[in-house]
Amino acid sequence: MRSLTLHLKVLVTLLVSLGILITAYQIFILGIPMTEDETDDLWNIDAKVEFLANPREPVKLQMFVPPLAQDYVSLNESFISNNYGVSINRTDGNRKVTWSARRASGKQTLYYRLVLTKRYSGEQTKAKGPIFRDSIPVEGAEKIAAEALLAPIRQHSADVETFISETIKRVNNSNDDNVKLLLSGDTSTANKATAIELLLSIAHVPMQRVHTIRLASEIQQSPELWLRSFNGEKWLYFNPESGEQGLPADRLVWWTGDESLVTLEGGKQAQVSFSLNNSEMNAIRLAKLTDENTDADFLEYTLYGLPLQTQQTFMIMVMIPIGVLVILILRNLGGLQTLGTFTPVLIALAFRETQLGFGIILFTVITALGLSLRSYLEHLKLQMLPRLSVVLTFVVVLIAVISLFSHKLGLERGLSVALFPMVILTMTIERLSITWEERGGGHAFKVAIGTLFAATLAHLLMSVPELNYFIFTFPAVLMILVGFMLAMGRYRGYRLTELFRFKAFLKD
Amino acid sequence: MFGLIKTWKALEAKGIMGINRRNADYVLKYNKRHLYPIVDDKIITKQRAIEAGIDVPEMYGVIETEKGIDKLREIIGDRPDFVVKPAQGAGGDGILVIADRFEDKYRTVSGKIISHEEIEHQISSILTGLYSLGGHRDRALIEYRVTPDQIFKSISYEGVPDIRIIVLMGYPVMAMLRLPTRQSGGKANLHQGAIGVGVDMATGVTLRGTWLNNKISKHPDTTNAVDGVQLPNWDGFMKLAAGCYELCGLGYIGVDMVLDQDKGPLILELNARPGLNIQIANDCGLTHRAHAVEARIAELKKKGIVETPEERMRFSQGLFGHIAPVKG
Repeated sequence: MRSLTLHLKVLVTLLVSLGILITAYQIFILGIPMTEDETDDLWNIDAKVEFLANPREPVKLQMFVPPLAQDYVSLNESFISNNYGVSINRTDGNRKVTWSARRASGKQTLYYRLVLTKRYSGEQTKAKGPIFRDSIPVEGAEKIAAEALLAPIRQHSADVETFISETIKRVNNSNDDNVKLLLSGDTSTANKATAIELLLSIAHVPMQRVHTIRLASEIQQSPELWLRSFNGEKWLYFNPESGEQGLPADRLVWWTGDESLVTLEGGKQAQVSFSLNNSEMNAIRLAKLTDENTDADFLEYTLYGLPLQTQQTFMIMVMIPIGVLVILILRNLGGLQTLGTFTPVLIALAFRETQLGFGIILFTVITALGLSLRSYLEHLKLQMLPRLSVVLTFVVVLIAVISLFSHKLGLERGLSVALFPMVILTMTIERLSITWEERGGGHAFKVAIGTLFAATLAHLLMSVPELNYFIFTFPAVLMILVGFMLAMGRYRGYRLTELFRFKAFLKD
Repeated sequence: MFGLIKTWKALEAKGIMGINRRNADYVLKYNKRHLYPIVDDKIITKQRAIEAGIDVPEMYGVIETEKGIDKLREIIGDRPDFVVKPAQGAGGDGILVIADRFEDKYRTVSGKIISHEEIEHQISSILTGLYSLGGHRDRALIEYRVTPDQIFKSISYEGVPDIRIIVLMGYPVMAMLRLPTRQSGGKANLHQGAIGVGVDMATGVTLRGTWLNNKISKHPDTTNAVDGVQLPNWDGFMKLAAGCYELCGLGYIGVDMVLDQDKGPLILELNARPGLNIQIANDCGLTHRAHAVEARIAELKKKGIVETPEERMRFSQGLFGHIAPVKG
């Protein structure tokens, strides 16, 4: 007996810890959302390219598109263009789309559409970049101005990072004569970037231009220029206007380098406008979409890998253990008397189809009528099978009548009864009448109420959408349930009702 | 909430056994499932008892098929009284007790006159499984009608009082006398409203009783005191109960017996899941007593001794008997 207890303890511990581990792995490592209501932003980015094509000339338009190497993953990408050939190629960590056409004339419009979301999983690829560069040659006054600027920068900085931000700050100080000379009156961001690059190159610090799009809807925007430099471990991003370091989370890198967004051959007045909008999407659907678009198939071996139809069946099936658990607790801990062990679970399942309130009324009415028929049949002394058949037929007729009446009265609820509840009703009537004969009407009534109570509770719990989602997504939870059930199998304490039943002992 | 915890602790201290403990520690542990048919089928129980030399009401005959019903007259012979029972009936359903013959007809204990054909129909119903639990086909048993000893007249209302002894591995653990009441309709089942009266294991003197989960000291129908009655031939009952372990092999059973005025103690049936209200009747928990028996078994096993039913009875009587009568 003791070895058996030990065996059971080991088994319970094993099951529970395995269940917890698998669930924790799914939640924390795979990042599967815990509730269905968890939503994620889904970004829809449209880049509209317009230009005038030169007549009788082949057209070739190249545009950068996001490389999607960082924290974002594309769910869908499309190139909308009539009569244009489309090709995509990667160069130096950039992606470029090339639209080409033999003949085009007049105003041309091309679209690029990208749907993307934050990346769910997958490790970051190791960043790589240059850490040394040759100086850009400068002459005369500019050389002196640059050196005059560099001296205090060197003094005020400790490493590459502080050196760059110090440089940016200096360049943005428009009162400085040296800066005025370098910028020569042009204070655009692009020009500042050129000045910064010059200064950094003298100190042999490499710098790269980064063109970003801000993930914000309903605003007019054009690519924003940022600077970045590789410090040997990772890229450091700087705002060329303020020297602020670090790329905000809502920036998407569109392309890097000095080239402009669009290069056009055989046309003029190329213009790109961006429009963004975001929609929220329920997290698990998003995870599923991401899954399809990346090679991390972490959902492949969960229940989401099943066909949709089967998934719906399993949605219900995985909840049955919860219902059974409710019955187990009510019976073995509470001491509630129910009709059979699993009849309440079956009734709870039937409630799914009839709705709770209506289901209770329907069950009560039909069971009461069925019981009176059963007690009448008792006088005829029939065998079990014919008797059951008669009761079943009676139940069918009753349901038909109720459906007809409720339909005529405009209550569509009455039509919700399906095949499933019918057999359960018949079985309930049969078992209830056996209980009635064996233990008397009072007891049968008590049992019927107990069954209805247990079924209601089980139904309510089984139809909590959060719970349903959680168990369907993390089926390992069922292992924890089994562990609990096993432990309950050797529970010897009193049932709640026994505390009242044996009250007589405490009276002395 | 705290009240409930207090109740729990108090019951635990008294050693009151709950359903979960009974099932986990006794029924599941000591009662092998494949032996259940022996106690579920009254005919098998009876046959086993006869083989083991244990007293049971005499079996006149068994009817197994519709064809067999023709033999009914042959089985009854010219006996004036007999009982027809389903072999696997539950809760006393389907039992027909014939007390006397009246010309060509029969009279039941309640005074109703029925014809031979009606008895045949009853047997036919039994055979089709009308009274058996799962609705399975059943067998009908025709046996000796027990006449309860006169001793019960004063404290019993109607029907046949019986004696239930809980036996753990052959050791009687607790005993009670079950008295039918008006409410129980002549049946001796406690949950149907019969009274349970505790019995001193050593002397066979009744203690106070329980009715519908309450403690009582008087019969609600006759208002006679139920305690202090000396049951005759008590050692006979105890020996009979102790011997039932060898009979069926089940380690935790309730043995139901009657005291016939001519034949003495007889075994009626065995129950593999005896109820727990016997504890209220005896005002004593089962757990401590069961533990004492289990300790005894472990001790004997170490020494390699196997006790006879007689010895087991003496052990139980010495340990659990001689309860001081409650005052007041």
